[in-house]
Amino acid sequence: MLTSLPTDIDKWIRDNLFDVIPMAISVIDREYNIIHANTAFEQMFGLWRNRKCYAVYKNQDAPCTICKGSDAFKDGVTRINEEVGFNKNGRLTRYIQHSIPVKHENGEVQFVVEIATDITEIELLREEHQLLFDQVPCNILVINRDFRIVRTNHRLRQIFGNIDGKFCFKALKGYDSKCAECTAHQTFSDGDIHTGSHVWDHGENHGAHMLVTTVPLRRADKSFDLIMEMAVDVTKTLKLEDELKVVHMFLESIIDTAIDGIIALDDISNIMIINPAARRIFHFPENQAQITKDQIEALLPQGFLEQVAAGSQYSFLQETEIKTLSGDMIPVRLISTQLKTEGRFIGIALHIQDLTEIQKLEKEKLEAERLAAVGQTVAGLAHGIKNLINALEGGMYLLKSGIDKNRMDRVSDGMDMLIRNIARVSMFVKEFLTFSKGHEIQVKIEDPALIAHEVVELYAAEAAKQGIELRCEIPDRVSPAPMDYEGMHECLTNLVGNAIDACNMSEKKGNLFVAVRISEKEGTLIFEVIDNGCGMDYEVKQKVFTNFFTTKGLGGAGLGLLTTKKIVQEHGGVITFTSEPGVGSTFSIRLPRKRLPKHKAFSRL
Amino acid sequence: MPRKIMIIDDEPDIRVYLAAAAEDNGFLPLTLGAEETVIKLIADNKPDLVVLDIMMPMRSGVSIYKEIRTSPSLAHIPIILISGMAGLSDFMEKGFRQLIADDQIPPPDAFIEKPIDISLLFKQIKMLLDNRSC
Repeated sequence: MLTSLPTDIDKWIRDNLFDVIPMAISVIDREYNIIHANTAFEQMFGLWRNRKCYAVYKNQDAPCTICKGSDAFKDGVTRINEEVGFNKNGRLTRYIQHSIPVKHENGEVQFVVEIATDITEIELLREEHQLLFDQVPCNILVINRDFRIVRTNHRLRQIFGNIDGKFCFKALKGYDSKCAECTAHQTFSDGDIHTGSHVWDHGENHGAHMLVTTVPLRRADKSFDLIMEMAVDVTKTLKLEDELKVVHMFLESIIDTAIDGIIALDDISNIMIINPAARRIFHFPENQAQITKDQIEALLPQGFLEQVAAGSQYSFLQETEIKTLSGDMIPVRLISTQLKTEGRFIGIALHIQDLTEIQKLEKEKLEAERLAAVGQTVAGLAHGIKNLINALEGGMYLLKSGIDKNRMDRVSDGMDMLIRNIARVSMFVKEFLTFSKGHEIQVKIEDPALIAHEVVELYAAEAAKQGIELRCEIPDRVSPAPMDYEGMHECLTNLVGNAIDACNMSEKKGNLFVAVRISEKEGTLIFEVIDNGCGMDYEVKQKVFTNFFTTKGLGGAGLGLLTTKKIVQEHGGVITFTSEPGVGSTFSIRLPRKRLPKHKAFSRL
Repeated sequence: MPRKIMIIDDEPDIRVYLAAAAEDNGFLPLTLGAEETVIKLIADNKPDLVVLDIMMPMRSGVSIYKEIRTSPSLAHIPIILISGMAGLSDFMEKGFRQLIADDQIPPPDAFIEKPIDISLLFKQIKMLLDNRSC
């Protein structure tokens, strides 16, 4: 420890310190005149000689209302005060002013020494920090070792009000004791920065999720008794995250549990999704993690993926085959979609529907229908035979009673009846055989209008002979469609034949017509056969599509409409009719294009 | 005076057959196809009994049956329905109700199924007519 300063230092302090000290020092007399000042003062406040202190500091003409200097003159007590004045350039300046009275031997204060430290920059910095503290988009509080809140920022006060001095756990969570997982406690224990998740409870908005960071506020000596806790509200983020998770899981489970195979490729043909159904369909082992586009492509119909990538947004193969890894070919329906976001291609989604089961079911259904038809046919056959037996019995009765009673008219009637009905038996059997044999439909692209014209031509002569107007009505061109020419021809032949019969049975004389109308509406081909013949009443309508039902006596075996219905069904269509006794009937065949029989070739939606 | 039996059937063969049999059984047969005027012809001829085939074109037997039964001057005439289309079960009470779809109309006096047992038919006819006259 030094007991006395070396001489040169002592001299330097006496001669130089006053001017080199980085604080503005001035000496003021009782009249507020500045009688002495150092270099720092002059640098800060400018010229001072022969000027009053208030003029130099504050640019005023009169002493300040509250003047610390005059107080010091009065009571001889040193004062420290934060002042705002103007520097030599007229800029607002903040400084700490020490007003130190210099006492004379008689105790009177004749001078006051004022030492001003410029804190303008510090203040600016402090304001900036305060602003930051208040406005940073998170909640900040300072906590002491008792877990009491020492300070809060503006944001936090906006939510919780003034909670200074309260326990943090009480103020933020409503707890009566410290949280089990206390982030602040961790920082108090080890002095490190810690983060944690907390749920704060404030007023109407219960359960705000906070991501909390605690930082020790260290003094120069590294010790600390305060920590700063910064909390970011992540409620919305967590909610969004949860929602996203739910949506994701939802989609994932849909894809995973889908019965149909789903495969998604990204824009550079990496397989992004291949669901369990797709693995099953292609026979990929469950444990095979890596499946490549090339592997998939080799199993799909040749050129399909290229067509998808190059073509329209959707490609659709109604019925095609894919290869499985085991080498089997299985029937599937393939749908592909180009995935786009904001018009940019991001990949391809493939949808593979295994048709094996469906085809099996369809086959079984067809078989069941065939069996049902056999039953129906047998019943119908019995009925047909009953009628024939009846007529044959009638013939026999007339013949026998004619001979017994020697009535030749009865003998002759009886013979006619027998001959006629034996002919009927043979016609019946022939028609029955034709129906039971059926015929395999041969699908080609056909022009519906052409079929209509040909059927009309076929009946033209007969209709003309009976005074029935037979015409084709094709208001708009109808595009060709895949169908069985023979089958559709037979349908129209049956319907037109029936219509002509209905006209013949009508009691109306003249103005009878039969029209064949072809049109298309919303992708459905419509064939209509319209007549203004006798029409049908309720009971006849009920039996129209039944085996061996005929209203034509000897004229028909009752298989025409049944055959027509069968052919229409084979074309994926329906046949319906409207009819009113005495007014006429309209039979409509509706064939939706998308359900028409198809070649196993590519087709696009 | 022989009793009049109206035979309504669309098949000429059956008409001829039943008419001959009716004649042989001592009745006066009248035959009709399914003409539009069938009701008027029944009213004009006042038959003692009607034999009606249920399934005919244009006017089915069922509608003719309904019309006879709802016509005050004809409702009393006994009617035998001939059914070729279905087994007898269709014409038991339930089957008949389904076909007629009108609770107000009483069932026919008898059903006969095709092929017609001619002796059974005339046994029925005689029974019905004898019951009536008692």
